[in-house]
Amino acid sequence: MKKLLKLAFTDFKLIFRDPSLRSFLVLPVILFVLIIWGVPPLIEKYDFLFPYLSLFLVVGVIENTQMFCFINTMVLIDEKESDVAKVYGVVPLSKMEYVFSRFLLPYLFTVVLNLILLFVQTICDISTASALLISFLAALVVPVYALAINSLVQNRMQGMVYVKAFNMLVLIPLAAFFVPEKFVHWFGVFPTHWVFQAIDRATQNLSIGVFAAIGFVFFLALLWLVSRIFVRKHFV
Amino acid sequence: MIQVENLVFQYPGNDEPTLKGLDFSIAKGDIFGFLGPSGAGKSTAQKVLYKILEGYKGQVNIDGKNLSEWNNSYFERIGVGFELPNHYLKLTGKENLELFAAFYPSGEKQNNAQLFEMVDLQDAMDKPVETYSKGMKMRLNFIRAIQHDPDILFFDEPTTGLDPVNARKIKQHILDLKNRGKTIFVTTHSMETADGICDRVSFIVDGKLVLTDTPRNLKSIYGKEAVTVELKNGQSEEFPLKDLGVNPKFLDFIKQDEVKRIHTLEATLEEVFIRVTGKSLGDE
Repeated sequence: MKKLLKLAFTDFKLIFRDPSLRSFLVLPVILFVLIIWGVPPLIEKYDFLFPYLSLFLVVGVIENTQMFCFINTMVLIDEKESDVAKVYGVVPLSKMEYVFSRFLLPYLFTVVLNLILLFVQTICDISTASALLISFLAALVVPVYALAINSLVQNRMQGMVYVKAFNMLVLIPLAAFFVPEKFVHWFGVFPTHWVFQAIDRATQNLSIGVFAAIGFVFFLALLWLVSRIFVRKHFV
Repeated sequence: MIQVENLVFQYPGNDEPTLKGLDFSIAKGDIFGFLGPSGAGKSTAQKVLYKILEGYKGQVNIDGKNLSEWNNSYFERIGVGFELPNHYLKLTGKENLELFAAFYPSGEKQNNAQLFEMVDLQDAMDKPVETYSKGMKMRLNFIRAIQHDPDILFFDEPTTGLDPVNARKIKQHILDLKNRGKTIFVTTHSMETADGICDRVSFIVDGKLVLTDTPRNLKSIYGKEAVTVELKNGQSEEFPLKDLGVNPKFLDFIKQDEVKRIHTLEATLEEVFIRVTGKSLGDE
C-alpha cells in the first residue's frame, strides 16, 4: 500500500510542478461557479430553458471528470515520451497495481467533486443515493479515457489530437436528449450515455438503478479491456 | 546464473526475427558483454532477459528457474541501467531515486547520499533533473539501477553520453560490483568499454552470435605475437615476441639508432570484430 500511495502522491507533485497541468486544477472551480451562480438566473430569465435543466447537470458532471481525464492522460504520455514508463516495467510492482495506483486518487477526487457539485447545485433535487451512484459511475470516465488514449498514442502531439476526439466522443450521447424517444438508446454504444440518462432520471426523481448498473458493467468492461491494451504497450 | 538456449524473438509486424537463436550463459560474478553495431539485437536480448518483451522462443533460465516462472520477486533481484536517461524531469534527482526505491523491500536499499556521492552528483541531488546534463542523467540512471543492491545487473551502453573521466569511473564502479559478486550483462558498441570490463564478450551481428570468448583470447588469437620497432632515423622492423630479449637481429637493430617507439601487434577488440564479422562497430 505504501508504494501505491507513493506513486499516487508523486502524480500530484508532478501536476503542481507543471504549469500547463496545474492550470487545469481550477476547472472545477469555474464549473461550480457557473452551475451555482450562472445557471439559476439564466433559467429564471429564459423560460424555454426549463425543460433542459437536467442537461446543465449532465454537462456539469461530465466536465467535472475532464480535469483528471486531461491531467492523467498528459502525465502518462509524458512518462511514455520520456521513457520513464520503461522503469516501471522493471520494478517489483505488478502492472495492475501500477494502473490502480495511478487512478485511485484521481478517481476518488472526481467522485468527491461530483458529489459536491450534485449537493450544492440548486437546479434540481437529487436523492443522496442517486448522487452517490452518479458520482461513482461518472468518475469511471477518468481511467477509461486516459488509458484508452495512452493505448493509442506515442507522444504529446498525438495525445492532444486524441484528447479533442475523445472530448467529442464523451459528449456525443447528449444528442439523445434531442431525438425521438425510440432512438434515445441508440446512443447506448457510448458509455457516457448511461451516465447522462441516469442523471436525467435522477432529476425527475425516477429510479436510476438499471441505468447505473448498465453503466457500471459497460465502464468496468471497457476499463478491463483498455487496461490490458495499455499494459501491453506502455512499458516497452 | 543466466542460461540462454536458442533464443528467438520477433517484434510484431516485423518480417524476420530480431534475435535468431542465441545461445550463451553468464556465470555468477561474471561481466558478460554483447558487442555489436546498432540494430544487431543487443538491447532486444536484454529486454527479453528483464521481462519487458514477452513472446520469445527458446529457453531462458535464471538461477535454474525458467524466466517465465519468475514472478515480481525477479525484479527485486535485477537492476537495469537503460541506454538513455529516463527520469521525471520535474522531480529532483533525490525524489526520482526515492520514488523508485519505494518499490523495493526496505532492508536492501543503499544510502541515497552515498549513491549520489559515488557518481559525483551530491551537489545536484536536490535540483530538478531538468537542470541536469545528459551525463548527469546517465549517472543518475546508474545509481537508480544499483540502489536496491540487486544480484543481476543489466547495463545498456553504460558509458554513452559520459565524458572520459566519468566513463572511467562508471567502468570502475561496474568492476567493483563484479568484485562484490554481482552478475553483470553489458551491451555496448564501445570496444574500449567491453575490453575494459568484460570477462567474456559475444559478438552479435544481425541477431546472431558470431563468436564468444574472453577479450584477452580474442586479441591474442586474432593478433600477432610480435612487436614493431621504429627508430629515430625512420627505419622500422617487425620481430617475434618469442625470445625477443635474446634475438640477435632485434638487439643489433636497436643499437643502430635511438628507439622512437615499440608497438605490440596484438589486435584491438574492434579489429577482431571487423575481421570476424566483416562489419564495423559503427555500422547501422
